Amino acid sequence: MNSIERIIKVVGFNQADRVPVIAQVFGHAAVVANVPLDEYLQDGGLVARCQIDAWEQYDYDSVFALLDVCVETEALGSRLEFRKDIYPLIKKYAMADTSEIDSFSIPNPKKAGRMPELLKAAKILRNTLGKEVLVVGCALGPMTLTLQLLGAERALYLAIDDPDTFSGLLDFSVEVCVKFSVEQIKAGVHLPVIFEPAASPAVIPAPFFREFLLPRLQKIFRELKNVGSLATWLHIAGPTTPILPYYNDLGADIINIDYYIDPSEAQNKCPNLCINGNIKPLSFITEKPSDIKTMSKTLLGLFKKRGGYILSSGCELPLESKPENIKAMVLSVRE
Amino acid sequence: MQDLIDAILDGDISRVLSELRKLTVQDIRPEQIIKNGIESAVEFLNDKCSIDSFNLLEIMLVTRAIMTIIQELYPEGPPSSQLKSTIVIATLEGNIHDIGKNIVKIILKAKGYRVIDCGKDCSNEHLISTAQQNSASALFVSGLITSIIPNVQKIKDLLEKENLSHIKVVAGGAALKMASPEFLKVDYVAETVFDGLNYMEQLQKV
Repeated sequence: MNSIERIIKVVGFNQADRVPVIAQVFGHAAVVANVPLDEYLQDGGLVARCQIDAWEQYDYDSVFALLDVCVETEALGSRLEFRKDIYPLIKKYAMADTSEIDSFSIPNPKKAGRMPELLKAAKILRNTLGKEVLVVGCALGPMTLTLQLLGAERALYLAIDDPDTFSGLLDFSVEVCVKFSVEQIKAGVHLPVIFEPAASPAVIPAPFFREFLLPRLQKIFRELKNVGSLATWLHIAGPTTPILPYYNDLGADIINIDYYIDPSEAQNKCPNLCINGNIKPLSFITEKPSDIKTMSKTLLGLFKKRGGYILSSGCELPLESKPENIKAMVLSVRE
Repeated sequence: MQDLIDAILDGDISRVLSELRKLTVQDIRPEQIIKNGIESAVEFLNDKCSIDSFNLLEIMLVTRAIMTIIQELYPEGPPSSQLKSTIVIATLEGNIHDIGKNIVKIILKAKGYRVIDCGKDCSNEHLISTAQQNSASALFVSGLITSIIPNVQKIKDLLEKENLSHIKVVAGGAALKMASPEFLKVDYVAETVFDGLNYMEQLQKV
């Protein structure tokens, strides 16, 4: 059974040969290859090469055609600053004034900013590993992109002071998300993860999620299924317990849970969804392989009866993660 | 005063201004409004947040209401005689997400601290020289990404080199609160803004 077959089985709550393991190795792939992060993030070919090298080193079930959370906002006009060893910083937000929204058009992923680099990475990864290994892309969810267009503080106040304009921005962001996701699937990803950290209950209350985001995420996942996404995956980090019940209605097949979340509670609240998580990301820097193995085994035990589970960290693995810790997590599903 | 507190907690600026005007017409002194209005609202929020219902948006609305009152009462800033100790606050180099830091600043100000804001993407050197120049009692540093951890781990050593080891270092934010104070080499890791505030309030009592 290869990684893709394994993940399809598990998403459908069917028996697989073992539990899949997805290490959320994004920029860490550059670090282990001794490639400066700023170069990695601006070169799809380099992303593919480093992701392939990391996969060969760690032997997990998925690789990522993923750059950073600034790809869409840059494509829409935000100005970024790249530094050698950290993710880019937004120096100027695309939308200085919300009245400008009508002058914005959905970016063409084949031309705008670094979107073509992500598509290039997707194509190489699919051609090189894609018959056996899951190739995952990434698009920002509407809340996160809206915050990236305006700046978080301005966007959140806008949500309260002018909900109609805010809703318009969310709708625009949904269109960006769908178009970028569709192009990623055409380029070769099996599925794009919808990355929506700003929808965490740490940022907005649960009723806000229900009113503003639930219908929009439903629309995104519907569109992804229509264009043949192998599965749909929502990734929200942080303390998501209050919004877990809404996940059942999203149309997502896989949900991510961060280290804050009690896995048993997530199982109870989302009985039919495949769960991905949830080792504390910082543990991959601070702990020893034996600790990671223990945490992995605990999670595997908790999900043994239920199935529908992918072993992973709660969020992205830190750039500085110790390789021996990632190996310990990956090995734990094979022992 | 309760109507003002309710308006603050609802984050309703027009009601806040209306209630504030009613109180000033009654000759209620600014210090009383701060103590019995703003500080009571902060206490209420503190209790609420400690029972696991904390979200940024709600806190932002309350802090905006608080800032509106402080600016109305003290257009030139609160008199220095009424201030507690000085806290220098920053989002560290490589990190530009500063909403959390801005909220901490307002809550600390609302509780009577003098807060010097070093902004975002701040170097350790700037942070420490600012603390030195302003005789700070504490440094509050935050970050959302783990890449800043090595910088956090250097702060106490840098303070010691400048003979400033009496200055407490408090860390917060999504990346830093995953770690222990020992790992970060800081005095305290705050889970929330109120956790950080309570730590400072305890120090004031010592």
